[in-house]
Amino acid sequence: MDISNWTRKCLLGIEELSPSEITQILELSKLFKKEIEGDNSKKNYLRGKRIVNLFMEPSTRTRIAFEVAAKSLHADVISVAEQSSSLTKGETLRDTAMNIQALGADAIVLRHSSPGASLFLSKIVDVPIINAGDGAHEHPSQALLDLYTLQDRLGSVAGKKITILGDILFSRVARSNFWALSKMGAEVTLAGPSTLVPKQFESMGARVSHNLKDALQDADAVMLLRIQHERQSSSHFPSLAEYTKIFGLNKDRKHWLKKDALILHPGPVNRGVELDSELTDSPQSVILDQVSNGIAVRMAILYLCTLQGASSL
Amino acid sequence: MSITCLKGGRVIDPVNGVNNIQDVYFQKETIITKPRNIDTELITTIDVRGKIIFPGLVDLRFHLKNITGGQTENILSGTQAAAAGGYSSVLLMPDISPKPDNPGTIQFIQDRIIKHACVKVLLCGNLTKDGKGEQLAPLGSLQETGVIAITDCPKTSQNNQIFSKGVEYASMFGLLVLDLPRDMSLSGNGSAHDGPLALKMGLGGYPRIAEELYVQRAISIAQSIDTKIHLTSISSKGSVELIKSAKDKGIKISADVTANHLYFNENCITGFNPNFKMSPPIREEIDRVSLINALLEGTIDCVSTAHNPFQEHEKNVEYDLSPAGVVGFETTLSSCYQTLKEHKKFCWTKLIKAMSSNPSKILEIDTGSLSIGTPADVAVFDPNIEWEYEARNSFSQATNSPFEKHLFQGKIIQTFVNGKIAFDLK
Repeated sequence: MDISNWTRKCLLGIEELSPSEITQILELSKLFKKEIEGDNSKKNYLRGKRIVNLFMEPSTRTRIAFEVAAKSLHADVISVAEQSSSLTKGETLRDTAMNIQALGADAIVLRHSSPGASLFLSKIVDVPIINAGDGAHEHPSQALLDLYTLQDRLGSVAGKKITILGDILFSRVARSNFWALSKMGAEVTLAGPSTLVPKQFESMGARVSHNLKDALQDADAVMLLRIQHERQSSSHFPSLAEYTKIFGLNKDRKHWLKKDALILHPGPVNRGVELDSELTDSPQSVILDQVSNGIAVRMAILYLCTLQGASSL
Repeated sequence: MSITCLKGGRVIDPVNGVNNIQDVYFQKETIITKPRNIDTELITTIDVRGKIIFPGLVDLRFHLKNITGGQTENILSGTQAAAAGGYSSVLLMPDISPKPDNPGTIQFIQDRIIKHACVKVLLCGNLTKDGKGEQLAPLGSLQETGVIAITDCPKTSQNNQIFSKGVEYASMFGLLVLDLPRDMSLSGNGSAHDGPLALKMGLGGYPRIAEELYVQRAISIAQSIDTKIHLTSISSKGSVELIKSAKDKGIKISADVTANHLYFNENCITGFNPNFKMSPPIREEIDRVSLINALLEGTIDCVSTAHNPFQEHEKNVEYDLSPAGVVGFETTLSSCYQTLKEHKKFCWTKLIKAMSSNPSKILEIDTGSLSIGTPADVAVFDPNIEWEYEARNSFSQATNSPFEKHLFQGKIIQTFVNGKIAFDLK
């Protein structure tokens, strides 16, 4: 396939991508998925390239997925966590990144608690920056793998109704997914308590619902987000028990969903809080597909950004 | 007997109702009438034809991190920047090190000012000890040492009893209380206006109501004690409406807005540039329009700079980790002129009133006019100079300006403080 018109060095967010760029990443992801599932002979597209995972926040899935993806492309991978870096000695992100660049990194995958941190870094260093989550702003690779998973099951998402349910206010996953889904023609409903899903999200073009039944009943897929325990103390909702009672998706409410509606969750799942165990493990759930699709999607991202489309498959 | 004459300029002197071409004379440090029967060789004449002449500007919000400067702005560079912006008097906020919450420290600060300042630096003491909002500072003693106003800006006591008693206690000494209205429980560490853009960008929001509740607090307290409170850096349409209604009732409330809030709307933070991060945050276009109208109609009394210098490495970090505050001395007048000049209600008299006469009146100081016998604090503005602001060419040692590379029409070319030249573009 021709990927020579890919021009981005960095992947900072979905908001800035065009639908054709999104399609380009997902088409390439499909090829990588086939390669992974096929003869398993690893392709050495990024041999000799050094990918640095700079993770300033805890992460299991994303960090490992980027590592596996980079290794699958034969890149050298170095993972740096905040606790093990000089950031604990007071070094700034700017200095850490400049040092990493000076040590010969070919790309930096950044996870950081500050919105805009990846953009900030992209203005300081010359190497490609791949945003692996910046505060509540964006988490593009997650949205792309979610979109991949949905397209895999539904065909196109155009005209489909997708509900994202839970802590939208603090969620980068929700924002990136909103952009990805709406750019590809889906109708997105953001749902949850009014304190976590302000009406102002409507200004982005989303439908906002504070009623679970209303949010679920027409949905072709529902994407749940982890309810973060720490939000209780900041008066966004009274208790996990109350959240579960009003917004938890459980077997008693399963019939509110269409029979073939898909259930997604970026993980980690709080079983019994936002999602019942029975539904987590049900045939409608594509949660583990999301995880495995994440490898192929991240291979595509690393490939495109690191090589900037200079070569083609 | 050296006399200076600024000849042929358009003089704007709102206090005396002057807005026409005339000459301004001063001798030593005082404005005088046109001398008669005097040898013209004894008069130094400066040709200011085509220029605008007005009383030196007065700023109500000037921050300086450390009175000795350290590696960032010091008294000299800060006041040089002020003079370059047309300011002859600036009110120093108390969030400096060491804290001006006791007479000894205030004396120390005054000594530094006398040695290094090139404009008049007026002192604002802390309302509460260490600015923490928990225990009143010794306001009477502070006043005796030369403090002319008090505030905990950029914070404010979150304890209503402390704040209200502080205002009441200050009123006994006739001390003006300045307040930056902010309910911290609602604003938290919010780094952007709590609106659709912050929501989209994933930034913590600083909502309008965090300001408006405390604007109402100040209004209620000013009314119940029957004393003056000045609200600084008003940013929301709702605050404007509250202030207008309070003024209509005769409550002694005054307010200022920063030039940044008149010039920009929230879209300025789209690129996560920390040089647009300030407290309160820049809000929506509807707020900006309301603030402009309020200034031109007189609901908002003054424009302040909120000049707040930071070192490059402190400010240029991740947006939400960056401290709030930007520099403003050298751009405030030019940016206000640019913002307002096309507005149908604009006139120079209103602008000079807001930037000189009104702040002087609020502080009860003898500046803000070109009345005979008052200090010769005078600024000269050339409306025809086109210039580009660049931090590296500025007097301020800090670079945290939202106006980097902005083109302006009109610039201060000379500032006199007590009759002495404090800034000369040449």
